[in-house]
Amino acid sequence: MARNKVGEALGEMFRTALEHPVTEEYPFGKKVVAERFRGKLYFDPIKCTGCSVCEIVCPAEVIKMTPVGTKTVGNRTVDVKRPEFELYSCISCGQCVDDCRFGALSLSHDFELAVFKKESLKIGRSSNGP
Amino acid sequence: MNAAQVVELLLFPGLTFFVWLAFVFEWLERKTAARMQGRIGPVVAGPFGILQPVADFFKLASKEEIIPQVADTFVLTWGPSLYFAAPAIGVAFIPVVGLQSILYNPLDLLFMAFLLSFSTLMAAMLGYASGGRYSTIGVGRLVIQFSSYEVPLLLAMITPAVLAGSLSIQGIVAAQGSIWYILIAPISFAVFIMASLAELEKPPFDIPSAKTEIVGGWMTEFSGNTLAYVKLTKNLSYVFLSALAVSLFLGGPQGPVVFADSNAQAALSALYFLVKLFAVGFLIFAIRTALARVRIDQAAKVFWTVITPLCLAQLALAVAMR
Amino acid sequence: MSEPKPNDERQEIGAGLVEYSPENVMPFGPVHPSLKEPEYFRLILEGARIKEVVPRIGYVHRGIERAAQERSWVKNIYLFERVCGICSFAHSLGYTQAVEALTVYRVPPRAKYIRVVVAELERIHSHLLWLGLVGHWAGFDTLFMWIWKDREHVLDLSEAITGNRIHKSYATFGGVRKDLPEGIKERILEEMSYIEKRARYYNELVQTEETLTIRTKGVGKITQETARRLCCVGPLLRCTGISRDVRVEDPYAAYDEVVPEIQTSPDGDISSLLTLRIGEVLESCRLIREALEKLPSGPFRTPVPRVVPAGDSTLHVEAPRGELFYFVKSAGASVPARVKIRTPTMANLLTATEMLKGRPLADVPIVLTGMDPCFGCMDRVSVVDLDRSTEWACSGEQLRQLGINYYRRRK
Repeated sequence: MARNKVGEALGEMFRTALEHPVTEEYPFGKKVVAERFRGKLYFDPIKCTGCSVCEIVCPAEVIKMTPVGTKTVGNRTVDVKRPEFELYSCISCGQCVDDCRFGALSLSHDFELAVFKKESLKIGRSSNGP
Repeated sequence: MNAAQVVELLLFPGLTFFVWLAFVFEWLERKTAARMQGRIGPVVAGPFGILQPVADFFKLASKEEIIPQVADTFVLTWGPSLYFAAPAIGVAFIPVVGLQSILYNPLDLLFMAFLLSFSTLMAAMLGYASGGRYSTIGVGRLVIQFSSYEVPLLLAMITPAVLAGSLSIQGIVAAQGSIWYILIAPISFAVFIMASLAELEKPPFDIPSAKTEIVGGWMTEFSGNTLAYVKLTKNLSYVFLSALAVSLFLGGPQGPVVFADSNAQAALSALYFLVKLFAVGFLIFAIRTALARVRIDQAAKVFWTVITPLCLAQLALAVAMR
Repeated sequence: MSEPKPNDERQEIGAGLVEYSPENVMPFGPVHPSLKEPEYFRLILEGARIKEVVPRIGYVHRGIERAAQERSWVKNIYLFERVCGICSFAHSLGYTQAVEALTVYRVPPRAKYIRVVVAELERIHSHLLWLGLVGHWAGFDTLFMWIWKDREHVLDLSEAITGNRIHKSYATFGGVRKDLPEGIKERILEEMSYIEKRARYYNELVQTEETLTIRTKGVGKITQETARRLCCVGPLLRCTGISRDVRVEDPYAAYDEVVPEIQTSPDGDISSLLTLRIGEVLESCRLIREALEKLPSGPFRTPVPRVVPAGDSTLHVEAPRGELFYFVKSAGASVPARVKIRTPTMANLLTATEMLKGRPLADVPIVLTGMDPCFGCMDRVSVVDLDRSTEWACSGEQLRQLGINYYRRRK
């Protein structure tokens, strides 16, 4: 009890006051994220083959495969599908990125995803790339 | 009262000046607390965020006022103005420019003591009138804390009066021409600061409006205009008590350099006053940032067993010296 | 089941009836500044002291266990790590290890060590969060800001390794999803020195700052018998002096080779909880250093098939708050048949209410949050049939026998 004193924190307070504050200047400055940061999903339609593995594994059920045409395999006619992504529900877990063996998906560093219209966060056949 | 006095009362160095100082004090408190914690404090409103308290005031004033059903609307309508009036009148008695204050009475130290008690009484009434469980508990704590810090505060205020032989603030300031009372009665100054912390509800004594325990204490049910004025009054009391400390212990607007020209002297004395005011304010910020909140029974114990006897001893010493 | 009658207090309290009159009840929550998640605590006052606390839970129940029954095994990893934000990796580990126990595949050693590193990083971040919040609840905002400033270092490390600060999404069946990045070892060691230095400073600060010690010493004291009787877990148990830790008693991941030293604290009050958690932060720093030194090379993941064979699996891990149980039942389908979670806050809740008996009202935030509650993890809803006056429950003896049989079978 003899060691107790009031105002133990004063020394540290004055030392901290003289140092530079640790607040990041975002949004007035740029925010730097780590290399592995998982942000918005980017889709490369050229590499996609329509295998539908991404649709099966997505935990947030963001990916919907839609038929865009047909092709003949042997003596059957099958649908050719391409994915559409509803990125407003995406949790950026990266499971689809891990499982796509054609490298059509990647997670960027983009995290500023607030939009006015929900539809602008849907990407699909007629959409962006990296 | 002539027109010049009315203008002085309302503008400088009267109400408007002190309200502006209240806003600056709040800004300064937030900035220094932030810097000591490693943050940056307000930056958006105005250069360096200096207009932030003003922005907060106007934002609160523009919000809807929600009054609980069990509340007493008469008290809640007229109470806040009375609560605001207490420190607003008090600041007129403090000499800022030169050794004269705007209003003067030979016994105005007692009037200051009355105003301090009155403002706490109004706070308790407002809190109790707003109903609700958290307000009632907050008012209970406020009254207990008030009864604990009142005696040391008054004793600390009486000590400079005894040393100066006068019960008016002007007289006490004038008597400190040769030596400031903080050097003769430092314990009284320390006690005054601690009791001010309790009056202003700053840590370690911010028990009556403890945010994390009883939501807002006696201020829980206020919103809109009432809350804007209550917060402004708290800031104004902060300035008022710091100004009292400066006048009673630090010699008011007096300083080492004296000009012959009366206008320049007036400006210089106002500058001295401001410097000392910010020094006392900064001392209170530093103490407030460094300490946690104590419980109400522990606060009462500290005040009654440690602080009051110290203050009595100092007062006895002052009487003996005289 | 008949409709619940309005204003019938008896049906809200349930089996343990407590006599009180409505004027003496102080509601704490569900929405309160000191509770980060809503739960309703009825404080029954006697004058200014608390006589009894009657909790009522269920405010953040999200039905996760039921949702898990409709999602595939891999999708559930992401569901279960979102049970709690602060102990997210512990939940992740619990689920993935429970499912791996049902398969024949074993996790490679490198992945085990990496799991230990990330789990200890999470323990540091969770304890620092709690320490800062104790400062906030005690009115000491300065301590809160400083500790959270240091916690940012840990979160930045987590972002560098796993890609996200809180919901790490890092563990997967058979190992971890990505290897440790290049150059992270030096950075981790540097940050560990920084955290150790700061933790030692905070230890001294909370022990000697008078306004904090009078709020925390002697407050919420429990004895060892009470702790054992109420079956609390985690730091709350260790602060009474009982030395139990799942990582030592039943090692998982690489804890059989990187053995933690169990920290205990003798007094059983909030002040000893403070020292205990800081001690655990220092111990975690040491464990991370040791794990990085001994890190073996090799694969970081074994591919595991997506359909899990039938069986039951029970597993416990040491989350930052205590012992976390996972029970996974598979029927050989592509979705789990049942997953049940028992979180540590569930076990600690009654101990916290016991700590509050006889204390003044001002101690409620400090004590209730002394057990580091995570109501999001804990919440559940139980079904009470008023007509037949039954609740589904097992007796203590039945549960004990079940546990003994399980471990006999496992050997």
